[in-house]
Amino acid sequence: MSTTDLGMPGIGPLQSAAPYPLRLVLNWGRRYSLWVFNFGLACCAIEFIAASTSRHDFIRLGVIPFAHGPRQADLMIVSGTVTDKMAPAVRRLYAQMAEPKYVISFGACSNSGGPYWDSYCVTKGVDQIIPVDVYVPGCPPRPESLLQAIVKLQEKIAGENLGRRYRRSGGTPVSAAAATRPLVAPDGDGGPSSRSTSRRARRVVSEAAVPRRQTTSVLPSAPPPAAPVQAMTLRPHTPQTAEDTVVDMPAPVPPNAGPETKEGPR
Amino acid sequence: MEQRPAVPGDTGETERRDKSGFGLGMVKGLATTARTFFRPTHTQEYPDVKPHLPPRNRGVIALVEENCTVCMLCSRECPDWCIYIDSHKETLPATTEGGRERQRNVLDRYAIDFSLCMYCGICVEVCPFDALHWSPEFEYAEFDVRDLVHERDRLHQWSASVLPPPPPDPAAPPPKEIAAAEKAAAKAAAAASAQGGPTDKPGEGRTK
Repeated sequence: MSTTDLGMPGIGPLQSAAPYPLRLVLNWGRRYSLWVFNFGLACCAIEFIAASTSRHDFIRLGVIPFAHGPRQADLMIVSGTVTDKMAPAVRRLYAQMAEPKYVISFGACSNSGGPYWDSYCVTKGVDQIIPVDVYVPGCPPRPESLLQAIVKLQEKIAGENLGRRYRRSGGTPVSAAAATRPLVAPDGDGGPSSRSTSRRARRVVSEAAVPRRQTTSVLPSAPPPAAPVQAMTLRPHTPQTAEDTVVDMPAPVPPNAGPETKEGPR
Repeated sequence: MEQRPAVPGDTGETERRDKSGFGLGMVKGLATTARTFFRPTHTQEYPDVKPHLPPRNRGVIALVEENCTVCMLCSRECPDWCIYIDSHKETLPATTEGGRERQRNVLDRYAIDFSLCMYCGICVEVCPFDALHWSPEFEYAEFDVRDLVHERDRLHQWSASVLPPPPPDPAAPPPKEIAAAEKAAAKAAAAASAQGGPTDKPGEGRTK
């Protein structure tokens, strides 16, 4: 059976040329009418269903539940453990969605494999196979966490430029293989992988060049930097002075504060 | 009447209902809609209305750095291995003349990877120094999964939202320390009153 190369779908050139007021209106329309394709795989699906019921009701936010299929959906919420057996189906159904499309990863298992990250048959995070816009932590997250993530996604859509989001790198079509992100290169000191470096640490340090997660511009990400690849490295927090470990904020009272607990001076 | 094949549940009402009025079904449906329309809803309109959270709700884990001695029990007991701890030992000079130098653990890095965390609470339970606490905050979804690794300053900020511990259940037996202390006090009172004469001890009546 021969395959037909249909080319990567994309947004037309008019999107980049649209003036700002028009983009504002289009973003408003797009973020308040998200037809959701629920990819419920495990326990997190129950919390998703709870969020769709009357107590929390994400239809208030414009997320219309249960699109009739991926082809008529805008938003895909992956909730639950993505096993290696299910991963090709996730990829296929994501590819069947039409642009512009968004993905929310709901729960620990779809964020990074969760408690089953060590398993032989679990995909360590759905972002290994599809690009994710918002990650919701929790095991399972509260339904209100999903609502907060939807609000966060809507804020992201409000400020986005579809032309930039779906721009092809250099004008050449990107194949599905090239669109998958390579793994983050581990740094040299053998510590936890640099995947776990927080954005704060990345801003603080800007020395040796460790390539950050490469994303092609087909995938949703922050606008690619004009400068060459941003450098980051993991530096252990070595306190320089005695004050270094002191965080400059009002002293929190430990809940078990009593005569037996020592509270350090701030 | 023509013979109909016996269908379970068929009482013949359908025929009669169809004959009673055109559009009656729609009117009945609209009546149901109108009734439901004026019923009060139970929607908690988040984000305008914050949810009511039970007191032991598990939202996020807060670190009280002052209590942490870097024993690493939390990191070892975490079933997911989602706690990353780096530390080093510092030597403090001897406090007395000819004394021994003391060694102290200093925390360099404390991070909890909330993309892996399954919120079991084993780390909070096992910490011998009460450095980890549950906080009911749940609104920390991120655009990048790497931002779900909370470093120590962020974990410290969560400790501002930790709730005070709930009061003990009034029907519960008193904690062992209080029971032991009361027994000791009762014994001392008994010894004192044995010299002075028998008196009633009100503390004896408590259930164990």
